[in-house]
Amino acid sequence: MKPMAKILLASTILTGLSAVGAQAEVAANSRLKTVQDRGTLLCTGHNGSFLGFAEVDDKGVWKGLDVELCKALATGLFGTYEGHLEIVPVSWAQRWPALQSGDVDVIIKASGWTQSRDTELNLTYSMPYFIGAFQVMSHASLGAEKVADLDGGTICVNAGTSVERSISNYADANGLDIEILTYENGDEIRNSYFEGRCDGWVEWAPALATGRVDAPDGADAHVILPEVIELEAEGIIVPEGDADWLDVQNWMLSSLWFAELNGITSANVDEMKANPESPQIATFLGATPGYGTRLGLSDDWAYNMIKHVGNMDEIYSRSMGDTSPYKLARGVNSLYTNGGVFYPLQID
Amino acid sequence: MSHTKSLPKPTALDRLKARFFNTTLNSVVTLVLGAITLWILYNLANWALVHAVWGVDQGDACRANRDGACWSIISTRWRIVFFGLYPFEEQWRSGLACAIMVVVAVLSCIPWFWSARRLPFLWVAGFAAFYILMRGGMFGLTEVVERNWGGLALTVFIFSAVCLIGMPLAICFALLRQSSLPWVARTVGLIIDTVRSLPLLAIMFTFAIVLPFALPSWAIGESLYRVIIGYSLFFAAYQAEIIRGGMQSLPTGQEEAAKALGLGYWHRIGYIILPQAFRNALPPTINQFVITFKETTLVTIIGFFDVMTSGRTASGTAEWSFATLEMYVFLALLFFVFVFSLSRYGAYLERRLGVGTR
Repeated sequence: MKPMAKILLASTILTGLSAVGAQAEVAANSRLKTVQDRGTLLCTGHNGSFLGFAEVDDKGVWKGLDVELCKALATGLFGTYEGHLEIVPVSWAQRWPALQSGDVDVIIKASGWTQSRDTELNLTYSMPYFIGAFQVMSHASLGAEKVADLDGGTICVNAGTSVERSISNYADANGLDIEILTYENGDEIRNSYFEGRCDGWVEWAPALATGRVDAPDGADAHVILPEVIELEAEGIIVPEGDADWLDVQNWMLSSLWFAELNGITSANVDEMKANPESPQIATFLGATPGYGTRLGLSDDWAYNMIKHVGNMDEIYSRSMGDTSPYKLARGVNSLYTNGGVFYPLQID
Repeated sequence: MSHTKSLPKPTALDRLKARFFNTTLNSVVTLVLGAITLWILYNLANWALVHAVWGVDQGDACRANRDGACWSIISTRWRIVFFGLYPFEEQWRSGLACAIMVVVAVLSCIPWFWSARRLPFLWVAGFAAFYILMRGGMFGLTEVVERNWGGLALTVFIFSAVCLIGMPLAICFALLRQSSLPWVARTVGLIIDTVRSLPLLAIMFTFAIVLPFALPSWAIGESLYRVIIGYSLFFAAYQAEIIRGGMQSLPTGQEEAAKALGLGYWHRIGYIILPQAFRNALPPTINQFVITFKETTLVTIIGFFDVMTSGRTASGTAEWSFATLEMYVFLALLFFVFVFSLSRYGAYLERRLGVGTR
């Protein structure tokens, strides 16, 4: 590994010096090579459905945010995901060993970036692609628009979680007089909230959004307040020490945000490619060379992703956002220009 | 016999009176329980039949009508329950394969097939047909890898494979444990007791996920088959003890008599011991089959879409997540059909073999 890394480093420097867009060397033992030779990407699904992230439609075809990213990745690698993507159903407990044993090539499975996972499991995280925010859901009839409007009310939370502490810290820090009720059991807290025992319910925002779809009084009777009480950053996971494969993940995510920031959608991508607004966009869409070859991919890989899957806004919108049944506002998951925390990397 | 003839034959009304209304207390109990039963049945019928929504894609009608069952989820998404993630256009293959398996199971319950030649032939042919249809890749059928198998077809496959591998293994274990060589008997005893003291979930997890790290790459194979082997081992450990129980309930004199007649080991086992052991062990054996069928649902933990997981997946989407109850009722019905037929067949075998009467 070490000598290989040195060679790679040397070649990177040389490429930089000669300022020629030479094709990057992909390490022979990289998962990227394995996937390209196989011609199929093995990506994580779920054993059942995980609402919003991995679900199955009437014909048994996967959909959801994580699945869309799998599609984007497969499209970037092969030009189209049709026939090149296999979603492997994997349980939560199974995901790490499945990656190590090669049952899957990459884990895109709403997995939070924690220190123990990062350091002890021989894994590497890409930059986060989703912020799993803990937010408060409240009854629309109360008219609350922010958590502070629930002052004097009751908020329910699962007992023994870090969120329990976070919400009480939040209340203290903002000088709110909120009674915090804790529940041991998920069903109990759900019922209490829908029966009106709690004015607010703190939970992982996607779980709130999927939960309110089944609300007895209808989804419209509940609002998810924008404040983030606590968050978990979900990233894409690849085996440790596979820099080439990790690069592909990071640049795949960056591309989806870059397209969104520059207004490139699946609808206008052809037009954009024909008349790029800037040299950056021209490189990005493969009109001028370099964007793909440096990663060991074809130069139009980002174009293909946007064309077949769409930019991050399109992906989010149909999986969890406005055009999905969950209608979870994007909030902290937006681009930095819209008050979120995400951003594309520089293309040069 | 003649005096019974002189009595008038009791009418249905008489019998009803004698059984349910013979004292005041009994009459009251009958009326109260009858009323409760009727009330439950009335509500159930109202929910499940009268107010139910049946049509395809009637999710919105269901949401508007919460007094009735929403069978629309079944009529819209039944394919997921039966076939899991099997490719949509190829699902007829999965259905046909499943039907073949059921036919084979039914045929093997008919006494005509109970011979050492017919039964194995039936099952080998059945399994081959099942595998070719499901897996494809030959005879112009497109290939469908095992990890995309699912639903009822997968459950039936796992169950029959486990029983077919596990049963001979169990007989081996039982015979070896009865061996007169102490180190053989003790080693096998140790294996059986070790396997029995491990939870099934741990065994499945080990075979599916841990084993690939320990095996050479040529021996890894598909995780579905590793799980089936692990589960068969588990099944065999329990079934071996059931068979041993059946064997030990035979008087030792029988085997000694056979020995005195000059019968060899295989004749003694094949003609004297095992047939009687199986007859004695029939009720717990059926029990073991039923438990095995139900526990196939555990394969969900290693990412397989068995019928239970498929059902949960079918209701696990925003359009249908309100109808989980209906889905579970349907799954319960499916399981009931299989398990109840198994127990009825067991009861038939018991009558035929005269278990408990001889």
